[in-house]
Amino acid sequence: MSEDLEFVFPHLARSAYAITSPSTPEYNCIAWAAGDAERWWWPVAGSFAYWPPNIPLQESLDAFIKAFGSIGFTPCGDANVEQGCEKIVLYVDENGKPTHAARQLPNGRWTSKLGKSQDIEHELESLSGAVYGVVAQVLKRPIDE
Amino acid sequence: MSMATIRSPQALEYLSVVGMSRDSKVVTEQWLKSEEHYWLPITRRPHGDAEKFQALAETWRREVQFLSSVTEMVLHSAYQRIIGMGAAVVPHLLRELERRPDHWFWALTAITGADPVKPEDRGKLRKMTDAWLRWGKEQGLTW
Repeated sequence: MSEDLEFVFPHLARSAYAITSPSTPEYNCIAWAAGDAERWWWPVAGSFAYWPPNIPLQESLDAFIKAFGSIGFTPCGDANVEQGCEKIVLYVDENGKPTHAARQLPNGRWTSKLGKSQDIEHELESLSGAVYGVVAQVLKRPIDE
Repeated sequence: MSMATIRSPQALEYLSVVGMSRDSKVVTEQWLKSEEHYWLPITRRPHGDAEKFQALAETWRREVQFLSSVTEMVLHSAYQRIIGMGAAVVPHLLRELERRPDHWFWALTAITGADPVKPEDRGKLRKMTDAWLRWGKEQGLTW
């Protein structure tokens, strides 16, 4: 438990969550949702971050859906656990700009990398609020057996 | 009164960069400036580049720690003030990169015009750090 985290994400205090890694600036939530713990993903020109090739360098939900589409994710209607599928969610702020991504775990809970801070395991709505906004898109891909 | 006694409410520190209305941001910024003015008179503010850089870097690290957006990180006022310090801050940036790797690459490119990171290393913090430290040595810089 962390008072700092609960202060910034007040819903965490009213739900079960666990810190699952130390802080690191090596990867961010987008990379973590994509299964990459070695790069910082963000659509920015230049060499300052990774972004999948041939995906628009735009901070838009559409560009993020395309980025995850490049690794097999497609839009999906709900965030319920689905056998044989891996799901992620994208959060957007009040202007519709992507802020965060979380990945569903097999137990139905979610794992998030909080910027340069820690990874946590949490409930889906625990991170909604002033910092990350709201969940705007669910994506899924088949799990390789 | 030492720096350690300055206790801005965390809410204002975090929420000053995200999720606030324009009016709330203005009020928050004014509140923080007032508090800074009260606790830290001009005679006790950091004078040297090293002190100034460290103070700004600490503010930046604290206030962007939960953000993933590179754009939001580099547009933060403390980061922009570091860029505004110009060439004099480059050795401090390289020392900080060596000691505690972080996303200082935008600032280095903005100040120097250089970009020594290979395309295949984009987003890989350690390789990006290595490229910049190598660049610094090639330029004859010491830090």
